[in-house]
Amino acid sequence: MSFRLLTGRTPAPSRLCGPTLVYVCIGGIMSVFMDLNVLFSPDRNRLRGVIETAAHLGFSTIAINYVFEPSSKKKQEVPVPCPISELIDQLPVVQGRSRPIRVLNRLTVLMSDSSHFRPSAPEYRRFDLLAVHPTTEKLFHAACMLYDTDIICISVTEKLPFIFKRAPINGAVERGVVFEVSYSAAIRDATMRRYTIANAVCLMDSCKGKNVILSSAAEKALELRGPYDITNLGLLFGLSDGDAKEAVSSTCRAVLLHAETRRTASGIVYTSRIQQEALQDSDCRFRLT
Amino acid sequence: GSSSVGRYLLCEINVSDKSQLLLLDDRAVATAVKAAVARTHGDYGLALCTIRFSVKYLNTHTGIVLLRFPKRCYKLLWSALPFITSITTRGHNIPCFLNCLHVGGTIRTCQKFLIRYNTQQLHRMLPKCKNEEEKQQIREAILDCSLEDGTKEAFEEESESEEDEEE
Repeated sequence: MSFRLLTGRTPAPSRLCGPTLVYVCIGGIMSVFMDLNVLFSPDRNRLRGVIETAAHLGFSTIAINYVFEPSSKKKQEVPVPCPISELIDQLPVVQGRSRPIRVLNRLTVLMSDSSHFRPSAPEYRRFDLLAVHPTTEKLFHAACMLYDTDIICISVTEKLPFIFKRAPINGAVERGVVFEVSYSAAIRDATMRRYTIANAVCLMDSCKGKNVILSSAAEKALELRGPYDITNLGLLFGLSDGDAKEAVSSTCRAVLLHAETRRTASGIVYTSRIQQEALQDSDCRFRLT
Repeated sequence: GSSSVGRYLLCEINVSDKSQLLLLDDRAVATAVKAAVARTHGDYGLALCTIRFSVKYLNTHTGIVLLRFPKRCYKLLWSALPFITSITTRGHNIPCFLNCLHVGGTIRTCQKFLIRYNTQQLHRMLPKCKNEEEKQQIREAILDCSLEDGTKEAFEEESESEEDEEE
């Protein structure tokens, strides 16, 4: 028996308040790998090269990441994501599968002040995924406990200015918000490598290696790495074998579902039985909150 | 001893310009691996590499390379591979990265995987063919895969000298 998670609004007033996720376990077939942080570049050829390499490496889904750093000084425009159809004519088929790669758009808000994050802004709705990168302890705490976001980014290019406390980490985990560690900075530079490993190990100590995703933050094709290599890299970041694999597969999928639910404001979740073949690469887990 | 048991990592060298692959040789790849291990894991890692690490096979047309690590520490040494960003050979610095395709206990299991992978790659090339002649060439190459060519011979040469250790 197979189920598919659908989100939608019901016509009648609902007894449930706020976004709801349902915990459903579907028999998995194969692991689906995702890289949810591929940096946007205005150079179309470069971006196309990244998409093709990602498909070649076996990633089923990638997200083009637009990083937005608001400043209090002058009014700034939230970036507008380029429609995928404009980026690339034909999406390449994923290595080892029969389907083309799926490309999503993601917004990351780099925050130094609480006013910077405006999740109800219509400009945010143009993106499939939402991430925040808090730069202070206070903002990190708020992001974990309150912010309507899918991903919280962990700094990898500088020494962490604060330590991770259990309470906010647990708060994020309970809400289905994940933490992201990006690896390309560590590959580019030795000092960054130390910061990445130090910050990642710190995080894993607090979150026990759960609710973490590993992504590239690649600016070009040669900065990508294959899913098995990333899983192995996860060991350096303090993840166990199993946790590292989840960090590039099932946890990423949970992020996508969290995002879907978030985008349907008062989303009601229900399941319905659908045909087996439509679920060729499904392995979904969700949480009831 | 336990260092005679090995793990074979079948990797693919990814470059932006395929013609650069032809400049590579086993020594250049081995040097790049050891340098990455030294950078990432210091003297400890490098010391581990002196215990029977070697490049067993390299195909400069496809970029496929077979690395042998001692079983006890292969994961640690493997974790240094993503940090390779280029390989230096004959005065050229070739930007690249390694993609691990398969880990096997013997050369034979890697060989079997490689045949399946090559077949898969050929299938992926079919839709990109511009004419029927190209398609026919690829179809023939796919059929040949099961009886394979230089790949199999190269592997067989090595497996005669190497102890094939099973788990």
